[in-house]
Amino acid sequence: MSMDNLKISPALEKYMTKEYRDLVERGPYGKQKKVSEMGTFKEIIEEHPMCAGCAMTLFIRLTMIGLPNPEHTILVGTAGCGRLALSQTSIPFIYGNYGDTNAVASGLKRGLEMRFPEQPKDVVVMAGDGGLADIGFSTVLHSWFRKEKFTTIMLDNEVYGNTGGQESGMTQRGAILKMAPKGKKYEKMDMLGLAKTANVPYIVRMTVTNPTRVASVVRKAVLIAREIGPTFIQAYTSCNIEYAIPTPKVIDDAKSLEAERYGFQEFISDEAKAFLESIEPKKAKATKSTEA
Amino acid sequence: MYLVAHVDTSICSETACKLCTQFCPETNTILYDNDKKTAFVAVDRCKACEICVSICDTMAKHHAIKMIMISDLENPFEMSKAGFNPAKWKELPETVVLEKVAK
Repeated sequence: MSMDNLKISPALEKYMTKEYRDLVERGPYGKQKKVSEMGTFKEIIEEHPMCAGCAMTLFIRLTMIGLPNPEHTILVGTAGCGRLALSQTSIPFIYGNYGDTNAVASGLKRGLEMRFPEQPKDVVVMAGDGGLADIGFSTVLHSWFRKEKFTTIMLDNEVYGNTGGQESGMTQRGAILKMAPKGKKYEKMDMLGLAKTANVPYIVRMTVTNPTRVASVVRKAVLIAREIGPTFIQAYTSCNIEYAIPTPKVIDDAKSLEAERYGFQEFISDEAKAFLESIEPKKAKATKSTEA
Repeated sequence: MYLVAHVDTSICSETACKLCTQFCPETNTILYDNDKKTAFVAVDRCKACEICVSICDTMAKHHAIKMIMISDLENPFEMSKAGFNPAKWKELPETVVLEKVAK
């Protein structure tokens, strides 16, 4: 929860694992690491038990690079594939009951604001499409309507991958899955539209095809959530097991889907835009000059 | 026996694309040595998904990464033994592909 908590007490140093000592000495804390520097610093996530070639893991790995202050962040998640990697991070992770992620995060964020008025603490909800769009649907929408200041990230693999391939609200119409052999009968839920209706100030739909963009979007979403209001990222993170995608083709699949129906979309409110420019004035000027 | 990704350092050191380090889903598995200017693989973390191979072949077009049997590598880098310490990487013995495979 802060850099002091992460540091090892000198008397206990010899008992700590090599991985933890490496993390404190050569981790990303206190320096905003770039995606291009990956492989040269110790990452926040350790080894995890997720499937080989999982796009969700790649997205979570990039998310951790994007977090502006990992030492002042708390993750909230729920049942699903994502928690297998999220629980291996050196960030406090709250494993909520199915359906209450955003309710837990609301209370947590309010409590942290009261307890630490000087230091901004970030709360990031990361759960699957089942956890947020189906079972946690009501708490997600209500947290948006209440303008709770935290980030919600949906890892949309369009299936209940952890329990054997049932259809979810976010599954495409007509998709045939192990537990939906006749194909899904209903349309994919329009979570972006719902977020717009709730006036969420920063909404993004994206895939993992551009690592730098993933990190920068997560950074922006967390920064906006500190000051303006709720932010929402919907990321396509394919399930290569349930959709039978050969692992070398995972990125190709994400690219083809991006071209077909999952293109990058970013909605940002004027207030949020002005806030981003106020904290990063140099960068905003630089992009303007290149555009001109 | 099982396959792991192996980076041909002679090809990789001539480029600086670093794409494989960004697209690998495993953390600290494809590492980048700033002194030797090359990527290399921690074999004990590699799950052999071949994403790096397809990235290197189709996106970067360098063809520097191949899947190789773990038993055909001599002195592979293992994260669990060496830990993450870039300052000590140059002291480690170089990874060699046994000759029967190289030919």
